[in-house]
Amino acid sequence: MPVVGIDPDELRELAGHDTGDEELKAELFGLGLEFEGETADGQLQFEFAPDRLDRLSVEGVARSLRYQYGDVRGVYVPSTNDAEWRVEVEDVPDERPYVTAAVVRDVDMTEGKLDSLIQLQEKLHATMGRKRGKGAIGVHDLAMLKGGTFDGDGKRLTYTGIDPEGDSFVPLDADAEMTPADVLADHPTGDTYADLVADYDRYPAIYDDIGLFSFPPVINGKRTEVDEGSRDLLVEMTGTDQWTIDRMLAIVCYALDARGGRIEDVEIAYPEHETVRPNLDTRFKSVAHERIESTLGVELGVEETIDLFERSGLGVEHEDGAYEVEIPPYRTDVLGPMDLVDDVGRAYGFNELDPRYPDVSTVGGRHDRSRLERAVRETLVGVGFEDLLNFHMTAEAENYDRMGVEPGSPVVGGGEPVRIEGPYSEEYTMLRTWLLPSLAMVLENNTHRAYPQDIAEVGFAAERDETRPNGVAERRTVAGALARADSSYEDAKARLQTIARSFDRTLETPATTHPSFIDGRAASIVIDGETAGVVGELHPRVLVEHDLELPVAAFEFDLAALR
Amino acid sequence: MQLPDAAVALLESASATDAKPIDQLAAETDEKPETLTGAAFDLETESLLDIEERTTESLALTEEGTRYRADGLPELRLYRAAVDAGATDDPVSMGQVIGRADLDGPAVDIALSNFARKGLGSIESGELSVNPDADPDSDAEAAALDVIATASDSAGALDDVTADRLVERGLVERHEQTERLVALTDDGVTALMEGVETAETVGQLTPELLTSGEWEEVTFADYNVEADAEPVTGGKTHVLRQTAESVKDTLVGMGFQEMQGPHADADFWINDALFMPQDHPARTHWDRFTLDTDPMTDLPDDLVDRVEDAHRNGVGPDGEGYHSPWSRAFAEEVALRGHTTSLSMRYLSGEALGELDPPQRFFSVEKVYRNDTLDATHLLEFFQIEGWVMAEDLSVRDLMGTFEEFYAQFGITDIEFKPHYNPYTEPSFELFGTHPTTGETVEIGNSGLFREEVLSPLGVDCDVIAWGLALERLLMLMYGFEDIRDVHGTLTDLEFLRNAEVVY
Repeated sequence: MPVVGIDPDELRELAGHDTGDEELKAELFGLGLEFEGETADGQLQFEFAPDRLDRLSVEGVARSLRYQYGDVRGVYVPSTNDAEWRVEVEDVPDERPYVTAAVVRDVDMTEGKLDSLIQLQEKLHATMGRKRGKGAIGVHDLAMLKGGTFDGDGKRLTYTGIDPEGDSFVPLDADAEMTPADVLADHPTGDTYADLVADYDRYPAIYDDIGLFSFPPVINGKRTEVDEGSRDLLVEMTGTDQWTIDRMLAIVCYALDARGGRIEDVEIAYPEHETVRPNLDTRFKSVAHERIESTLGVELGVEETIDLFERSGLGVEHEDGAYEVEIPPYRTDVLGPMDLVDDVGRAYGFNELDPRYPDVSTVGGRHDRSRLERAVRETLVGVGFEDLLNFHMTAEAENYDRMGVEPGSPVVGGGEPVRIEGPYSEEYTMLRTWLLPSLAMVLENNTHRAYPQDIAEVGFAAERDETRPNGVAERRTVAGALARADSSYEDAKARLQTIARSFDRTLETPATTHPSFIDGRAASIVIDGETAGVVGELHPRVLVEHDLELPVAAFEFDLAALR
Repeated sequence: MQLPDAAVALLESASATDAKPIDQLAAETDEKPETLTGAAFDLETESLLDIEERTTESLALTEEGTRYRADGLPELRLYRAAVDAGATDDPVSMGQVIGRADLDGPAVDIALSNFARKGLGSIESGELSVNPDADPDSDAEAAALDVIATASDSAGALDDVTADRLVERGLVERHEQTERLVALTDDGVTALMEGVETAETVGQLTPELLTSGEWEEVTFADYNVEADAEPVTGGKTHVLRQTAESVKDTLVGMGFQEMQGPHADADFWINDALFMPQDHPARTHWDRFTLDTDPMTDLPDDLVDRVEDAHRNGVGPDGEGYHSPWSRAFAEEVALRGHTTSLSMRYLSGEALGELDPPQRFFSVEKVYRNDTLDATHLLEFFQIEGWVMAEDLSVRDLMGTFEEFYAQFGITDIEFKPHYNPYTEPSFELFGTHPTTGETVEIGNSGLFREEVLSPLGVDCDVIAWGLALERLLMLMYGFEDIRDVHGTLTDLEFLRNAEVVY
């Protein structure tokens, strides 16, 4: 979840209330921002769910507080001045066709404003921008841009695509001219974002009249870098979805407007059509009064409800038992009426509601397998086994090699593996096909503990099975191991007999061979005439492999055999 | 006075003037020493006997000491070999002497250091010369080894310096023995003079005593009922399973039915049906475990179409969809479920049990898989408690009431609801509770009302409240476990499980 760092003094100034830190934390908790800690320089860190992206900077949090205090009401839309600048879109890479932009004047950058803007930019990249893949933001010092003229007046930029070696510029944090290909190969930022353009034939590029100044979504040029003292800004965004970058731009414009910036339109000229950005249009949705009451479970007056909408920063008109709600453009999270009901609930204070147990009657119960698993576990414990719980994911070395079993062989545990694609750890590369390897590992890790060690597990195992819809045969098996100085086949068989008798099953154990067991001391477990597993004395090879210095008798069979 | 057999025998053999060891009395009375010890304590309680404890020390050869006694001390073997090699006249090379003395491994170092210490000779530049005046046959340490092996009171027969040296060399061990000596008290003498007689006592109640009826005649010897007994290793249900059972019992009691379903499932059931956009960060390769199996192509087509439509266009006249890519191929990919909400989707859609009419309550306590960073509170596999209630007109208050009731069963009260965001529920809440022992506020779950964008494609037209939480978290909260890796997985410590407190 995103974390936003907030200077409490800046927040108090922007929100217009001299609230103490503790009270501030409580108010923000009510908005869904949870206090995480304080940084060395006195910033308060708040974690919140990634829905209200407009709160990724102190300006947005302050705006929410001002609405909550009731200091402002209704939807505010910054006025925009007419466009002087124009972005022409020509021959852009197919993978990244969209661009949006705004000019913001008179920002008068200070350290605090710049930090806040950089944080907002980073957090938007991390969330809505999907790590710059879906939308990437570039902020430039407008004074450093030279617009080529078009149609006699106005200034022109071009968003286009170039060959990886097609041009060069000095990127941020560098001292020499580099081509986009150089940036990906040699620049630390290029290295981080190289994957985003790895499949592109041509790389996105933005030009002014002087030349190349930005290589989105990777890095901007040094020439247009914003610093303290920058006065006017160009904010451009490129991406794979127009709606997404327009919303990101709206959030940035609102934040800069709150800092006294004046928003100015930019014309975007696509080959087939022209638009004007930023798009700060509000949207409208209708919410029935009855729906608010039924969701919150309380009765509300109309005036009260209108107040709650307004404290959430929404515009509202009431008519015929419903509210026509106006939604500001920075609210990316509102998809349907229920999202507005949620806002009303937050403003009301969910913790003010009186909990009640739903007055509906149902009959509870467990499913068959769940009850059987419990009964088998209780039986195993009754004959002295310590019940264990191991991971379902394992490695092929553990599941097969160390037990002497070949994948795809017709023995218990020899099923074909279901593998994890691109595993992150070599300890977890597949689902276990049987449980005895897990038990052997537990014995291996507990050789310093007192013997006898009688351990058992009733658990999940899986193997490849193309006849199943998911390609996986999932099953539960029952496995037990008796590690003791005088452990023998008979010890394992005796316990199996008890289990079979407890579940009123017939047990037969015809001799078999299994690579994990000693020949002549291994048998198939046949329950009610069906082969269900294997029992025997573990082979010395397997014992030595697991650093065990005493005999182990063991068994494993399908839980379903007891059903 | 009537006393048990052993007590009478003891009184009769003990003396008022000469305290005797129990072992000696055992020999005299033909009773077992432990029987007499028990009797002696009983008689001491009655003030008929005094018991005096005396600690004596004895020495015994270690395995190494025994070996040297047979083969000779390494330094003496070295000396004799050196003399044989002619070192009395001229220094000889060390390698030669060591070979001749048949020394190897650590014995070489032992021989060399003691050789010098005892003044048997000197070693210079790898050459060894011997002191012709030394006499290996009168070596005090070698003689002491013989004494310890043969003398009955070895500790008394040796001087402390030699004994200490041998203990230091690891050739001899000191043993302390406590001996109890008993003597009659004045009361004991009086009792004897007045006469004591034997009461018939038995140690073990036997089938013979029972069948013969003899048990009516006998007195049972008292046991030391306070002494520790030999430990018994019994089995126990795994502590996390016990917690799962307790959660299941609670939920069944609250009217919930248990769900089950595949661990490896189509992303459609795990994520798409839950209105999780396909470019949601939790759906990237790094956060989930995809499997190398074929895609699940037999998904219910109508349902898939409705879900896709909800993703693209939203639900209802004022609904909006996501501005995210959506492909059926992604929905068909098979992965290990990251939450058991995939089961809820299968049940709510009618795929599991057919169409459900409200009211319904369902739950599961099952494994889920997430590619998290492993630490004391996070595992790649853990159990998720999942529950939902379906009914007409459920409100946030019903949600709060249900969860307060559930957590109260585990001693967690004062639940706070923090407004939260999930793609699949609205309103959504993170649940916070007060830790029963530390009093901290801790996160204990995630909950909400399923969105229309989830329910409408599934064909559900009433309200559904749902919540989820990690079973491990509940266990840790309730019992103060600090590292979940102690309990779950092959690194588990058997001793930890054997000693774990029972959960009920």
